[in-house]
Amino acid sequence: MISLNHVSKTYETPAGKFAALKSIDLSIEAGQFVGIVGKSGSGKSTLLNMVAGIDRPSSGSVAVAGTEIHGLSENKLALWRGRNVGFVFQFFQLLPTLTVAENVMLPMDFARSLPFRERRKRAVALLERVAVGAHADKLPATLSGGEQQRVAIARALANEPPLVLADEPTGNLDSITATAILDLFRALANQGTTVVIATHEADIARVIDRRIEISDGALVNQ
Amino acid sequence: MLAIALGISAFAAVLSSYAILTRELDLGYLATNPASAVIRVDSADDDLVKAILQNPEVSDAEPRRTISGQIKAGPAQWRNLILFVVNDYGNIRVSRLVPESGAWPPAIGEILIERDAFQVAKAKIGDAVTVKTANGVEQPLVVSGSVHDVGQAQARMENIVYGYINLETLVQLEEHGGFNELNILVAQNRFDEDHIKRVVADVEKVIKSRGHDVYRISVPQPGKHPHSDLTGVLLLAMSSFGLFVLVLSSILVINLLTAMMVSQVRQIGVMKAIGGTRRQIASIYFVQALFLGIAAVIVSVPLGIVGSRALCRYMAYFLNFDINSFAVPLWVYALVALVGIAAPLIAAAFPVLRGTGVPVRVALSNFGLSQTSFGASAFDRALTRIGGTFSLIVLALRNSFRRRVRLALTLLTLTAGGLFFMLALNVRASMINTLDHMFTARKFDLSISLANPYELKKIERAINNTPGIKRAEGWFTTEMSLSDRFNVVALPTDTQLLDLEIIEGRNLAPGDIDAIVVNNALAGHEPKMRVGETVVLRFMGTETTWHVVGIAREAFSPSVAYVPLSAMQQFYPGMVNSLRLSLVNTDDDAIRDVRTELDRNLEQQGVRARGSSTKEESRFSFDQHMLMIYVFLIVMSAIIGGVGGLGLMTTMSLNVFERRREMGVMRALGATPRIVWLIVVVEGVVIGLLSWAIAALLAWPISKAIGNLLVRVLFRSGLDFTFEPLGLLIWILVSMGLSALASFLPAWRASRATVREALAYE
Repeated sequence: MISLNHVSKTYETPAGKFAALKSIDLSIEAGQFVGIVGKSGSGKSTLLNMVAGIDRPSSGSVAVAGTEIHGLSENKLALWRGRNVGFVFQFFQLLPTLTVAENVMLPMDFARSLPFRERRKRAVALLERVAVGAHADKLPATLSGGEQQRVAIARALANEPPLVLADEPTGNLDSITATAILDLFRALANQGTTVVIATHEADIARVIDRRIEISDGALVNQ
Repeated sequence: MLAIALGISAFAAVLSSYAILTRELDLGYLATNPASAVIRVDSADDDLVKAILQNPEVSDAEPRRTISGQIKAGPAQWRNLILFVVNDYGNIRVSRLVPESGAWPPAIGEILIERDAFQVAKAKIGDAVTVKTANGVEQPLVVSGSVHDVGQAQARMENIVYGYINLETLVQLEEHGGFNELNILVAQNRFDEDHIKRVVADVEKVIKSRGHDVYRISVPQPGKHPHSDLTGVLLLAMSSFGLFVLVLSSILVINLLTAMMVSQVRQIGVMKAIGGTRRQIASIYFVQALFLGIAAVIVSVPLGIVGSRALCRYMAYFLNFDINSFAVPLWVYALVALVGIAAPLIAAAFPVLRGTGVPVRVALSNFGLSQTSFGASAFDRALTRIGGTFSLIVLALRNSFRRRVRLALTLLTLTAGGLFFMLALNVRASMINTLDHMFTARKFDLSISLANPYELKKIERAINNTPGIKRAEGWFTTEMSLSDRFNVVALPTDTQLLDLEIIEGRNLAPGDIDAIVVNNALAGHEPKMRVGETVVLRFMGTETTWHVVGIAREAFSPSVAYVPLSAMQQFYPGMVNSLRLSLVNTDDDAIRDVRTELDRNLEQQGVRARGSSTKEESRFSFDQHMLMIYVFLIVMSAIIGGVGGLGLMTTMSLNVFERRREMGVMRALGATPRIVWLIVVVEGVVIGLLSWAIAALLAWPISKAIGNLLVRVLFRSGLDFTFEPLGLLIWILVSMGLSALASFLPAWRASRATVREALAYE
């Protein structure tokens, strides 16, 4: 499903060059629930960005679901991402001017994945699946953090992507809500979706299939 | 800084123009030593001049002659001509002429033409022209030079040719008699109108005591060019608009600084956390605003000066005067610097004080998309009901309303641009409508003034022999006076060639003898002229009694009264001195043929025409006056529209800047750069459309109020208001185009940012 070969990423900063990833070789099977664990600044978000095509490697190659994404143009990458990757952010990142349902419909509008009239039906169905269907017509600001993250997960599933990536999805939630959100991801993986979570929390062992530890831009334990 | 610099430039340009033009117009006029008064007499010889100069209150008296006639260059049609006969071109002391090019002075058989009148005469130096005066014969003259007569109204606007000849040429034209006008210059208090009138009254006594008749005395406003007031009002209006543009520019500064303060709120929190006081932190941003003002002034003063020179040159050409110095007074620089530096500081006050007032805890905890807290108000919730099913359009629509204060300020500038544009078109349409009404009342196509009163019977014979005339009426035009002189038109009470718009009382009716109808200008000037009142008017040295029966509305007209033609019979039995003709065909060729044929037939009857004008020629003169206001409003709307466009660009840049993370999220969710670009552009266009809608709603009442005010101040006349729907259509296209253009760059930048950069933005 995911294959990274000798992936390195170096950033130019005012303080000099900074190596965020150092020759990463990684392979993840389809349907796995993988946790990338590491401290702040260890490179886990950069690694996730490489897989999502949000960032490009300085060297090496990235292949996801059979596509060499590092060679795609920005336009093609966006279209590919819309259909193949669902992304969940730490701070939910719901668009504040759109209602909950409209937020979920947004990736469908970008990808034009469903006929126009079926998009809202699917959005509401996804929201019900993550137990926030009652809030479909509310604005995100009126929802709690946990509810917002559920909406963000529903949005990530909008186009039925084979891969869901989540960057610190529980980092801004209380422990009870965090557990519920992780259970949601587990359920997704059980249904065949590949789920990769970047987190610095160690207590996700109970839900994940595989733990990958990263430190100073290098994988230390797969 | 560009926006504030543009505002200051506009302000500096109009303020400098105001200072330069008011100074130069009056200076140029005073340099000609303009006459304090012009007295029209039966004849003015050296003895009379010597007698007048005995009065120590009179410093100079110069005889001249002014006659009207017609001029023709080549096969072109006759043009109305005012011919000035000057005694000694080498020694003009009052109302001097300035030689421009060609010969000076004119020799016998030569004519000089006022520089602005060449376009009307359709002649150039060296051309042979034919001149025909009221009593003389057609005579070929050579245009030998060009002069500048500062004191005359613009020939182009008046559609008249000013010519200058010597006494010998006058004899050649077979015009009898010598000089008939005296240009008087008072010795002291030259700018005191009452003093001038007292001196002139003494001069009048002297003239009459020597057996001469005094026909008319005119005392122009002392020291003021005839168009000084008009220019002053126009420039004052320009200065007000300049200030308005500056205010609009300051609004952009408010938007900019508010956004800057929001983006720096965490930095402010950190500064406060390490001990910075609100005052200390605020002073940092005020100094920044101060530098912005200083930089804007440095950039905009030279730009403003260049702009003012262009504006001055245009106005000088338009008003036919020369500018000797473009020196800008020091007070203009001082005021521009003061206003330019103060404006950003004042604009900065609210955002800086608000931004620095944020508590440390709030400032340091500011992160994520939720910071915008959209959804808290009822308005936000109401917004969720608008849009539709396509989330991209919904997003663009609702995003427009996220920063509502910023949106309101942006809309203010854009709406102002649209409003002025529609105002310009509406005022233009209304002026045309007013003139249409005015000219609709005139049912005649050609009007001919005769050199003297002639028997109507002779004229009728000439008319009967001229083909192409549908209807003709003989009128009598003259002057009477109450407190001041005014024009009087005596016409048949059953006239079919003038349909006055009576606003009070009634029109003249068959059987009327001493009835008088006055127009609104005369009624406004003479309080005694009220319907039902009896007034005693002086006419030809006698007192005549009239009953005011009606008031007629005539836009853009001087004071005029209408009386029955029969009332003139006791003075000029069976005679008229002007003709009004309705023609079968009104194309140029047909009118020219009628003119030529009628002229010949009148000559055969011993009747001499002094001048003639068609409806179109009269209309042209009015249209030229209106053009000035129209151009002014269009220029203003372009400037304000430009500021509005810059305002929108600033707003869109700020919106995009603040929403970089959102753009990143969208890109992460599959939005292509083109979609992100489109969302931003649509948001800009939504703002443009909103501004159009507001401007469209306000355009009617504001156009009506400002149009009426402008025309009343400039022409002392009302406006028949009409709305120009084309303005709505044009401005919707302009506002959409402007909005798309203004948001293009921010949208392009937004679409170019990488997803990682956008997501990393805090």
